[in-house]
Amino acid sequence: MSFFNKYVKKYWKLFCVAVLFLAVESLCDLLQPTMMSKVIDVGVAQSRMDQVLHYGGLMLLITAVGAVSASTRNIISSHVSQRFGAEMRSDLFRKIQSLSFEDMDKFDRASLITRLTNDVTQVQNFVNGMMRFFVKAPLLCVGSLIMAIRLDVHLSLVLAVVVPIVAVLIVLNMKIGFPFFIRVQRALDKVNGVMREYLSGVRVVKAFNRFDYEVEKFESANTELSSRSVLSMRVMSVFGPGISLFLNFGIIAVLWIGGIRVDNGQMQVGSIIAFINYMTQMLFSLMMISNVFNMFVRAKASAGRIGEVFAEGSGLDDGGKSAAKRDSQRGRIDFEHVSFSYAGTQGDPVIRDFTLTCLPGETVGIIGSTGSGKSTLVSLIPRFYDAGEGRVKVAGTDVRDMDPHALREMIAVVPQKIMLFTGTVEDNLKWGKEDASRDEMEEACRIAEAHDFIMASPEGYASRIGQGGVNFSGGQKQRLSIARALVKKPEILILDDCTSAVDVATEARIKEALRTYASELTCILIAQRITSVMDADRIVVMDRGEMVGTGTHEELMETCRVYQEIYQSQMGKEMHPHAAE
Amino acid sequence: MPQNEAAQAQQTPPPGAPGPAGRPGGMMRGPGSGGMGRGKPVKPKNFRRTMGRLWRYFGRERKLLSLIMVFIIIDAGVTLIGPFLIGKSIDAMSANHGRVAFGLLQSFIIVLATAYITDVVLVFLQGWLMAGVSQRIVAGLRRSLFQKLQKLPVSYFDARSHGEVMSRLTNDIDNVSQTVSQSTTQLMAGGIAIIGSLVMMIVLSPILTLASLITVPILYLLTRTVTRKTSVLFKEQQVQLGMLNGHIEETISGMEVVKAFNHEHQAINEFEAVNGRLFEVGLKAQIRSGFMMPLMNVINNIGFAAVALVGGILAVKSLITVGVIASFLSYSRQFVRPLNDLANIYNLLQSGVAGAERVFEVLDEREEPDDLPDAVRLDRTKGHVVFEDVSFGYRPEVPILKRVSFESKPGTSTALVGPTGAGKTTIVNLLTRFYDVTGGSIRIDGVDIRHYTRDSLRRMFGIVLQDTYLFSGTIKENIKYGKPDATDEEIREAAVMANADVFIRRLPDGYETELSENGGNLSQGQRQLLAITRVILAKPSILILDEATSSIDTRTELHIQDALLQIMKDRTTFIIAHRLNTIRDADNIMVIDHGEIVEQGNHDELIGRQGFYARMFESQFKNLESAGE
Repeated sequence: MSFFNKYVKKYWKLFCVAVLFLAVESLCDLLQPTMMSKVIDVGVAQSRMDQVLHYGGLMLLITAVGAVSASTRNIISSHVSQRFGAEMRSDLFRKIQSLSFEDMDKFDRASLITRLTNDVTQVQNFVNGMMRFFVKAPLLCVGSLIMAIRLDVHLSLVLAVVVPIVAVLIVLNMKIGFPFFIRVQRALDKVNGVMREYLSGVRVVKAFNRFDYEVEKFESANTELSSRSVLSMRVMSVFGPGISLFLNFGIIAVLWIGGIRVDNGQMQVGSIIAFINYMTQMLFSLMMISNVFNMFVRAKASAGRIGEVFAEGSGLDDGGKSAAKRDSQRGRIDFEHVSFSYAGTQGDPVIRDFTLTCLPGETVGIIGSTGSGKSTLVSLIPRFYDAGEGRVKVAGTDVRDMDPHALREMIAVVPQKIMLFTGTVEDNLKWGKEDASRDEMEEACRIAEAHDFIMASPEGYASRIGQGGVNFSGGQKQRLSIARALVKKPEILILDDCTSAVDVATEARIKEALRTYASELTCILIAQRITSVMDADRIVVMDRGEMVGTGTHEELMETCRVYQEIYQSQMGKEMHPHAAE
Repeated sequence: MPQNEAAQAQQTPPPGAPGPAGRPGGMMRGPGSGGMGRGKPVKPKNFRRTMGRLWRYFGRERKLLSLIMVFIIIDAGVTLIGPFLIGKSIDAMSANHGRVAFGLLQSFIIVLATAYITDVVLVFLQGWLMAGVSQRIVAGLRRSLFQKLQKLPVSYFDARSHGEVMSRLTNDIDNVSQTVSQSTTQLMAGGIAIIGSLVMMIVLSPILTLASLITVPILYLLTRTVTRKTSVLFKEQQVQLGMLNGHIEETISGMEVVKAFNHEHQAINEFEAVNGRLFEVGLKAQIRSGFMMPLMNVINNIGFAAVALVGGILAVKSLITVGVIASFLSYSRQFVRPLNDLANIYNLLQSGVAGAERVFEVLDEREEPDDLPDAVRLDRTKGHVVFEDVSFGYRPEVPILKRVSFESKPGTSTALVGPTGAGKTTIVNLLTRFYDVTGGSIRIDGVDIRHYTRDSLRRMFGIVLQDTYLFSGTIKENIKYGKPDATDEEIREAAVMANADVFIRRLPDGYETELSENGGNLSQGQRQLLAITRVILAKPSILILDEATSSIDTRTELHIQDALLQIMKDRTTFIIAHRLNTIRDADNIMVIDHGEIVEQGNHDELIGRQGFYARMFESQFKNLESAGE
């Protein structure tokens, strides 16, 4: 966990100061029972009021010292833990931002989110806890032991018996309890799984009338969960009373042996009270240590998960050698014998020996069935991934030799999956261009057929889009997503099947408007529907990662079998019998 | 005997504080319960009524629960004897100035040992029984909730996110279980400890009691002021945390766009801003609430000092014995500690009751109305469907369908087309009685569908939805879903008919292949084929294809189309489609716009009419027609 070094280096001094104050605090706590015994033995037993006042006052003084150091420690430890947490979270966020998609794909997105939220909090809490009780517990435990032995060595024999027994019980409790706990968790996951499935498939359940089956399935998971919970709770119910039984018998032993020693004049009554106190304190610290251990296990797992992210290198080496681009090459894209596989996957590559050149002003349509590699292909252009073999060139330069920032500046992508962000419509549009004027935005929205519905909502461009964009329909969000890309005025425009939820008539209008907009720039258009690409300057047909045909619609209808099949599937057989084989 | 921090660490952290979760033996709550985003306890709307209802709900468990309560009361009493006996023992040692009265000491110790053993037995029994009682109650609650979900109309699920319903089944029930098994008992035990200690203290020495109670008002005031201040801060911390989590979730799941638009810096800046605010408020909250402990320590010790001092004076004057001081110190701790705990426990109890309230809310939700008393089973149908003046709105003020009338003759296919939101899917929802009409009537074989039992009616339909839902389990189990008693042979036949047999047999375990949740390990097309197989096997009388093929690419669709034509043969079929080419063969095409049928007829008729349909068709095929010719 080398990523910790940075924070250790930064905070170890303050951390040590906090621990120091913690030690003072513990010491004060430890002194209390002794003071108390003095009040009784010296003051009360000998009927000396001045001694009672003396030790009583001393006790308050010690308490005051303890409180002051506890408060100081509180301020320091809060600063350290909060600062540390915020910093680590921020570092982790930056790290994730800098990761290439290849590296990011190694993690589930949802798991990245939990790492940033839950795991960081776990570690932060642990660090804070360390400065609060974790160090204090062993201190108190050992301190109580020493104080008790100092009070009376013979009585400590009782400790020698009771403390190990209690410690063993606590360890057993953890050891035996944990597997039970894991099994309860699993059963709980199962109940939740059945539940989630039911909720997602509720229409299917209703349509097929399978209530009994679902209830049965749920019931078996539910019974499993409750029987496991009962078992684990019962196992636990043995330990708690067991621990207090041994402690209490320890107290009885102390009273008895103490009685003998008092009788022999070897000990005073006040010491017995103090002794019992130290004993309880030791027990508390032992319990705290077991808690510390639990938290440590959790925090360690979290730290490990955070460390995994930090350990990821930036897979793309940001050359930053941004070669000067020649104007004649603006917007030109070359794929030269490109092959590509996703890291960690086996089998056939997703893209195989793909060669294609797109020129400025040209609109290239890419069509093919799902999984044929269309989206992967275009993700190589803004260098989301690097080609395994061959080269991808933009404006005549290998993308690997360009500064990714500058490269992406030239490109606007409308992704297949709609991703709008919390904020107003305007905020989202400005992603394309920070200082876009209202006119620029409106123009883009008109082309994307978004202006009208934006204006139809009461707040117009200031309408808020919720997280993930809740208040617009799927088709409307797609149109906003297109507008966002258009505001950017890129040299290369990539539209990845982004009109699937837009109705046909609207799509036709958008395409019409785009024709003028895109006349100067390179436009790559991925689609499922043949009507979406058929009037492109050139159509590329992809099948299983390979280019199986390229040309205009007419040419492909003559030469490309896959294209003919797609055409038939969408147009119906009877319409163009000549196209069928 | 100072109340030290070790003792306080055993207490539950302040509500909302991201403090360490779990106490000794608190493993049950487990990881995750102390995670981010735990809000302030929500106040129940009607505490008393919900408690009463919960109590009634406990049913058979009430006897055992009462027994446990009795145990708790006895145990609290037994625990109270402890300090008294210790004090007496001490007296036995010190009364005679150095000579211990062993006879007395012995009897005290024997009584003490008995008390301790009784305590252990009671606590153990209590834990053992409680485990069973609370889990049975919770399992029962979970069961009723799930069974209730079976009876709720689809509209209930449409109006709520899955997360919301899930949280009632998990978090809320968890809270209830917590309340039953811990909060109530702790509250009771705490209450008894407080009252008992107070009584014992007064019995032992009224003057000393007064001395030790000096600190109580101070303690009370302090706790109040601090928690009032910190609760505002903790609330604010939750808000900031929520915002931060939202931002994280959004940027990470939208990473493609962030990178494509070179937006990393803005994202980081935004993150820093929220993170900074969280730090500020978190720091304040932590420092403020952190002062609580040392302050309480001081006050407690002042209390102890007061007891020692006054006790010392009294002892010097021989008004009390040393043993009384010793017992007193224990009692005053037993008095103050639960006092601090009680506020927390009460908060937990409140959120538990609020959870119960939310669970009951679901249980009180209106169910799908019962079948009419004279409803008949629909066992066979010719598939003659008539809509007569059907009106419907999900909300009364927004009509979706306006006086729609049409007829589908047995064995014919009817296609529904029109823009999104026109009401196509609503027609299907009404037909299957996921919703009931608000005006007019739907008749199957001449009888209003409301006069059939709902179950038997739904059995007549086979529905293929755009998002086919597959359950985790084997492929075979999924296909059998609609007909649990199907033989393997029947399953094979259905799969062959649906063109699914080929790909299924290619899978590593064939029909026994395990699917992950919602068939994640299959492609869209394969999932759709399985859904169609499922419907074929169920042999429905009326078939509904709701955008059945719109999420698969058209070449795959070709395969499925054949399968669909197979099952459409001789069945009344309703097809909803986006792509017009899939419906041109339908016997009757109905164009729906704004909840009304604007056109109907077959493909050629509608094209000839040059209306809405023709325009839609043209825009979809315009380019193609010209290019194809």
